[in-house]
Amino acid sequence: MAMSEAAAKVDKLDVLEPVPVLVGRPGDREINDQLFQPVWTQTRRTWLALFAICVSLAGLLFLAIAYTVATGIGVWGNNVPVGWAFDIINFVWWIGIGHAGTLISAILLLFQQKWRTSINRFAEAMTLFAVMQALIFPALHTGRPWFDFWLFPYPSTLALWPNFKSPLMWDVFAVNTYFLVSLLFWYVGLLPDLAALRDTSKSRTARIAYGIFALGWRGSARLWRHYRIAYLLLAGISTPLVLSVHTIVSFDFAVSVLPGWHTTIFPPYFVAGAIFSGFAMVLTLVIPARKAFGFENVITGKHLENMAKVMLATGMMVSYGYLMEHFHAWYGGNRFEFDTFFKTRMFGPYAPVYWTMIACNVITPHIFWWKKARTSLWVLWIASILVNVGMWTERFIIIVTSLHRDYLPSSWAQYTPTWVDWSIYAGTIGMFGTLFLLFLRFVPSVSASEVKELRRELEHEAHAPAAGHG
Amino acid sequence: MNAPQIQGGRGVVTRAGGVALLALAATGAGIALDPQRALWAYHAAFTYWAGIAVAALILLGSFHATKARWPVVLRRVLEAIPRTLILFLVLFAPVALGMNKIFAWVDPQGSGLTGELLHLAHHRHAYLNVPFFLVRQLLYFGTWIVVGGLLWRWSVRQDAEKGVGLTVSQRRLGTGALPLLAITLTFAAVDWQESLDLHHNSTIFGVYYFAGSFLSAVAVLVLALYALRREEPFRMLSADHWHALGKLLLAFTAFWAYIAFSQYMLIWIANLPEEAPYFIHRTKGPWGAVGAALFLLHFVVPFFALLSRDLKRDPRKLAFVAAWQLVFHYLDIYFTMFGGLMPAGPQPHWTDLTALVGLGAAGLAFGAWQLRRAAPVPVGDPYLQDSLRYQPQ
Repeated sequence: MAMSEAAAKVDKLDVLEPVPVLVGRPGDREINDQLFQPVWTQTRRTWLALFAICVSLAGLLFLAIAYTVATGIGVWGNNVPVGWAFDIINFVWWIGIGHAGTLISAILLLFQQKWRTSINRFAEAMTLFAVMQALIFPALHTGRPWFDFWLFPYPSTLALWPNFKSPLMWDVFAVNTYFLVSLLFWYVGLLPDLAALRDTSKSRTARIAYGIFALGWRGSARLWRHYRIAYLLLAGISTPLVLSVHTIVSFDFAVSVLPGWHTTIFPPYFVAGAIFSGFAMVLTLVIPARKAFGFENVITGKHLENMAKVMLATGMMVSYGYLMEHFHAWYGGNRFEFDTFFKTRMFGPYAPVYWTMIACNVITPHIFWWKKARTSLWVLWIASILVNVGMWTERFIIIVTSLHRDYLPSSWAQYTPTWVDWSIYAGTIGMFGTLFLLFLRFVPSVSASEVKELRRELEHEAHAPAAGHG
Repeated sequence: MNAPQIQGGRGVVTRAGGVALLALAATGAGIALDPQRALWAYHAAFTYWAGIAVAALILLGSFHATKARWPVVLRRVLEAIPRTLILFLVLFAPVALGMNKIFAWVDPQGSGLTGELLHLAHHRHAYLNVPFFLVRQLLYFGTWIVVGGLLWRWSVRQDAEKGVGLTVSQRRLGTGALPLLAITLTFAAVDWQESLDLHHNSTIFGVYYFAGSFLSAVAVLVLALYALRREEPFRMLSADHWHALGKLLLAFTAFWAYIAFSQYMLIWIANLPEEAPYFIHRTKGPWGAVGAALFLLHFVVPFFALLSRDLKRDPRKLAFVAAWQLVFHYLDIYFTMFGGLMPAGPQPHWTDLTALVGLGAAGLAFGAWQLRRAAPVPVGDPYLQDSLRYQPQ
């Protein structure tokens, strides 16, 4: 292909792909300098202020946990018949948030999507910290958390075995596997950058600290070869986890016979909801972070736009789930199902929560049909927060409305969360924020090694047509 | 780039057309002799082929929505598959005319429904009644034909006009139509399959029908490309293209199993009287063996076969697995449909074969005829060169 023809082709394509995944073609040194800058510069006041707020909230978490453990879970709002509420709502919410990290790091890697590169580490860190928060809730809900080790199949001298028929036991295995694989994936991906931090550190303490965590990485061809294989294998292992974890979480409800819980679409609908909320949380975190660090050239409008599109797609999948649930609640002819969907949820005591869910999850994502909305930072950020709220209300609606009015009207009761419930929930947000701020401060939040690789790929692509490969 | 017309297509059109006429005439004779059984056979074959055509449209829309470049070279073949929906609208006539024989809900008392089933038929009357059913079919086919037709027309127009304007139009329509296609295919699944067995009430069923049909649409695409591999433009298909198609087959083989497992497991474990009969019929006796065969032969065997990189890169082997999956998708449709209509076990009928072959051959003749009317690859697409250079790392 002649040079002029290649240039004409690039011009034509630019109309369809106007925003690049990497602005400019910075050199290796420039990439290191830019992406490691938040680690090497002095702690900023804004960071300190946010850290103080988050640590305070995390303190509240520990106080509320101490109070719960010392007194018993009677201090929560749970009652008969609502035996599960904030503990499982927040568990599902946090686990769901983690899913975007795994999808971005594993599935988009297998799909060879270039736009994953600058956001994968953010998203993976978010996954880890979100799963940590999620695990707090079932651990406390057992009532005697000091016996939680009974859940693991250790060689029990008490001859006491957990009930393997219960999906709650499946959760233990699913979530722990998920956490372990996500941690490995994140850490393996970090190794080249940790070594680069070691090599560019100016203080002995930092060099030793990053040196320990870099596990002796020297960047030899052999190491890179092993690294690539390990990374791809971990991506392969993580991919089914994106589906399996939330599928098993959905089984917590769907294996029962309760109206509003027992429905066959729950597994894929929970997975779609998890990805929906996960991408919303990535946007909520990435938009301010990229602004604060001046990362607009590596986390470009294309990344944000693509995330908005994923939210639009998964939001519609969630809406499809709602539609199917409502249609079949009528179609099936089961009066209890019908009442749950068309009376209790829509017009019962929790109706405002239900309609908030519809507004946030069904209506909000449709704004992303418009490019203007996908490219406006404020619209994206506000919509992402609304989706986070919507996905929390969805879990509230599923859990509380189905439990508080079931088959036996004489046992119907209202559920109201107590200050302890709210404190634990707010505390997990604080704990999550604390961990995330520490991550932003001490670890490169965008993978420098992968951005360098991306730059080379883009250069190779740009030269391919002119070089006569077309 | 010049793309010559497909050379060998005329013979396919005439031969497949001839087979279709003969097989459909035989099915017509079957309908005259044993109306209900032959109409069931026809309906099963119709559900099978029409579902594949709609799923191919969803695959096409997904390619546009994701701005995929690698499939541009094979897109024209894919575009030809949903074109057959025009023909399937005409071929829906026997189902529309024979509804009272196919669906028990059309005349619940006359069909011998009693007790709970009669009550359910009355309860669903607001949705399951003949006029509304027919209106819905028009809406479904109207949506599919318009979307498929516009995507085809714009793509063919781009062959001559070039430029990116028509790519933008196709992407917009392909993306925007996906929610509509999902909803129409889901309700078609309820109408065509779920409503046959009044015990069947499963929120995931639309996804289940989609999963099997989508897997089969990829399989049909693989087989079509395999048949065309010696034609000039398709010689440029590289092992990477076959590999990508193989990965799609693998992914949707797993997806079908995931959805099938979700439906089975949740209905089995809850064991509710109003929905458990659906699987009681299908897990006992001869239907139980069919179900086990589906698990082993529609999932386990092809899944492990498709894990092989060499197999996915070898067009002949990949085409074999694609044909295999097409056969078992029909068994899946048969299992879903006849498991409720013939609870004692499968009772094969010669019209099962004639209807399946007749409708399939009619679709093939129509699709091949469409494909012969245009360039076999979208020569005006700005990403054709990228597609030909497709070489994932």
